[in-house]
Amino acid sequence: MSRLAIVLARLALFLALIGAWEVLPRLGILNARLLPPLSDVLSMLLQLVGRANVQEAMMVTAAEVVVAFVIAVPLGALIGVAVAESEYFGEIFKPMLFYVFSVPKSIFLPVFILVLGIGFHQKVAYAVFSTLFIVIMSATAAVESVKPEHVLVARSYGATRRQILFRVYVPSMVPILLETLRIAMIFNFTAVMIAEMYASRTGIGHLIANWGENFQMRQLFAGVILLSMVAIFFNETIRWMETKCSSWRT
Amino acid sequence: MRRPAPATVRWLILAGLLLAWELVPRTKVVPELFLPALSKTLAVLYEGRAEYGQNLLVTLYEVGFAMLIACGVGILVGALVGGIAVLRNLLLPVFSSLYAVPIVILYPIFTAWFGIGSESKIAFAGIYGFFPVMLSTAAGIRTIDPQLLLAARSMGATIWQQIARVIIPASIPTVLAGLRLGGALTIIGVVVSEMLTSAAGIGYLVSRYRTILDSPRVFAAVLLILVLSVLFDLLARWVERRTVVWQTAGRQGRTIAARTPSPATATPAVA
Amino acid sequence: MQQLADVTPGRVGAAGASVEVAGVSHVYEGRDGRVPALEDITLTVGAGRFTVIVGPSGCGKTSLLMMMAGLRRQTSGTILCAGRPILDPDPQRVGVVFQEASLFPWQTAMENVEFPLALRHVPAAERHRRSASMLNLVGLDGFGGRYPHELSGGMKQRVSIARGLVQDPPVLLMDEPFAALDEQTRMTMGHELLRIWSQTSKTVVFITHSLTEAVYLADEVLVMSARPGRIIDRIEVDLPRPRTYEMMATDRFGRLRERIWQQIRKPD
Ligand SMILES: Nc1ncnc2c1ncn2[C@@H]1O[C@H](COP(=O)(O)OP(=O)(O)OP(=O)(O)O)[C@@H](O)[C@H]1O
Ligand SMILES: [Mg+2]
Repeated sequence: MSRLAIVLARLALFLALIGAWEVLPRLGILNARLLPPLSDVLSMLLQLVGRANVQEAMMVTAAEVVVAFVIAVPLGALIGVAVAESEYFGEIFKPMLFYVFSVPKSIFLPVFILVLGIGFHQKVAYAVFSTLFIVIMSATAAVESVKPEHVLVARSYGATRRQILFRVYVPSMVPILLETLRIAMIFNFTAVMIAEMYASRTGIGHLIANWGENFQMRQLFAGVILLSMVAIFFNETIRWMETKCSSWRT
Repeated sequence: MRRPAPATVRWLILAGLLLAWELVPRTKVVPELFLPALSKTLAVLYEGRAEYGQNLLVTLYEVGFAMLIACGVGILVGALVGGIAVLRNLLLPVFSSLYAVPIVILYPIFTAWFGIGSESKIAFAGIYGFFPVMLSTAAGIRTIDPQLLLAARSMGATIWQQIARVIIPASIPTVLAGLRLGGALTIIGVVVSEMLTSAAGIGYLVSRYRTILDSPRVFAAVLLILVLSVLFDLLARWVERRTVVWQTAGRQGRTIAARTPSPATATPAVA
Repeated sequence: MQQLADVTPGRVGAAGASVEVAGVSHVYEGRDGRVPALEDITLTVGAGRFTVIVGPSGCGKTSLLMMMAGLRRQTSGTILCAGRPILDPDPQRVGVVFQEASLFPWQTAMENVEFPLALRHVPAAERHRRSASMLNLVGLDGFGGRYPHELSGGMKQRVSIARGLVQDPPVLLMDEPFAALDEQTRMTMGHELLRIWSQTSKTVVFITHSLTEAVYLADEVLVMSARPGRIIDRIEVDLPRPRTYEMMATDRFGRLRERIWQQIRKPD
């Protein structure tokens, strides 16, 4: 199938879904109270974006996401590089990290609340905690992706430490680092959402949980669409950068 | 001085953590609300074993059902998407874009649709676990060495024999890895959804005791979930090891390592 | 074993059959248009003969072999094997050995050899008997229980050969079977192959890039041109059999090798 045909087919699929979402509830085939027609949801979305309390909630959520991200990524990268660079500590901590990684982080959310109460700090702390391990693991993988042969070749041509860092390490690691940012953001965003939905006084997650409890389906779907679009947008942006940066990889 | 073996250090660290869990709260430096002593937590767990047991059964029931959905549908869709080029080109990029969406925001929709009983948990956790299973099944099928299929054809294998004797066994390692991740996510999905809104299950106990600030009972429930997820992981790894004995060296060789699926498929959003 | 029925003493199984390729052309319909891969190939491989095909990379050797195996249909022309056209894979007429050891990693050596028999639901006892005798033939007694990753490259190719022969097909097609092996193993494997061939009297069509290997193994060497592949030379190798390593140092060997090389490097 050619590229054009794929794009067209995907578009057709998308339109069919949208059409079904609009038409089926309108015809009463699906319960419009449980699934409001898409047009209703979208007009609600426009309204919501204009509301002050929603804007405020979005700002809070954005702040939590950004602060947690800015803490978790460098911290995790640092620990990851340390673990990868020291053979001894690597051997001690890597298997442990694997275990901690596979343990569900969300069950510690109540502990964060017990210790920090409910608020901005607690959300950020929990999101950092949730994101940290995946960043550590990816950073380790990034360092290990640098081929020793390449370092050796560079050294044999008399490259300085600086040159080795910028001409061997960084280019080899960039694709994985971008991938790390992408995955870290998925974890981070999920964590903030869970924390807000679980116990919170503000934030988009809090609003969504409330709308769900009150059966405000139009608001609920509008919120879900909004968040999904933001998440997908961020994800695709980084993916696009990844393909730009890793064109040399086969 | 010789440094102790890494494995020893790991055990020492674990022992140290457990010891700290017991001793630090006793010093009263950390209030019991933040961290109740290990012995107290265990005592509370034992005392409330009837309640914990009952709710554990609810959780296990939901996990079992959700896993059935996640694995069944995940393998089916993954096989179709991985095996049929048209579907793959059409859908795989869409799926990996959707993967960025925090699935947890769908949970309020499920409670609105299915109520706060087990159904909403099963639906939510099923979807939570579906993605890794589907993506690894698709990756497993897509990365089968075409040379193996060619060899089978040269020996006169029919299409069904190719599926049963080459495609399925060749994709088993990747599918099993997907099932392990998917299973872990299913457990998380059930617990998270129980914590959010429910009337039964271990996650429900966590939330209820958290609201009344009964810290030891919260930690007891958390401990129980930890044990559950670690046990599942051990079990899944054991099954993997038993099933793919033939793969042990292939890992370093060309079979899997050469074409590890991208981290997007390998790392699920373990929240 | 079956000495009474066979003409040659010590021979195992059914003897070779001829392969006749007549006017075969092939065009690939690729993304960027039509790629003519083969052009009017006509050749005959006599029953029991060892024929080697050489030619520049991409000239269509693998394509031709796939057609002989019934794995791909040619655009035009006919291919007869044992007097009948070959349209689909027929493991009882044609066995194939591929370049990379295409063994199933989840099966032991024994199970791999039994695979074609299992496909036809041959009873287990019969399968074991035949795969054991094949493993014995290729010199792998006692290795049947090993998984491919526990075998060396040369051993894997021995298993592949055993698998190709287990249905006792009169024709064995081999596509660069030793290309992934180191030079020394490769020589040994060539020698082994000749031993197996002389014991079974199969018809062998063997593709290689190594001219030494070609001369050492072949009754006849066919040289193909660059794409679209045509047969541009046919060289009878009249060195006596059994072949020995010493022959490689002789003038005659060198001249044969030189002649093939001149043909391959010749521009169109
Ligand atoms: N499935 C296919 N679709 C399109 N073109 C193909 C296909 N298979 C092979 N070709 C083309 O046909 C030509 C012959 O390929 P083939 O693999 O038969 O060559 P070969 O002689 O075996 O090469 P090598 O010595 O490198 O193994 C090549 O140019 C190749 O690009
Ligand atoms: Mg070839």
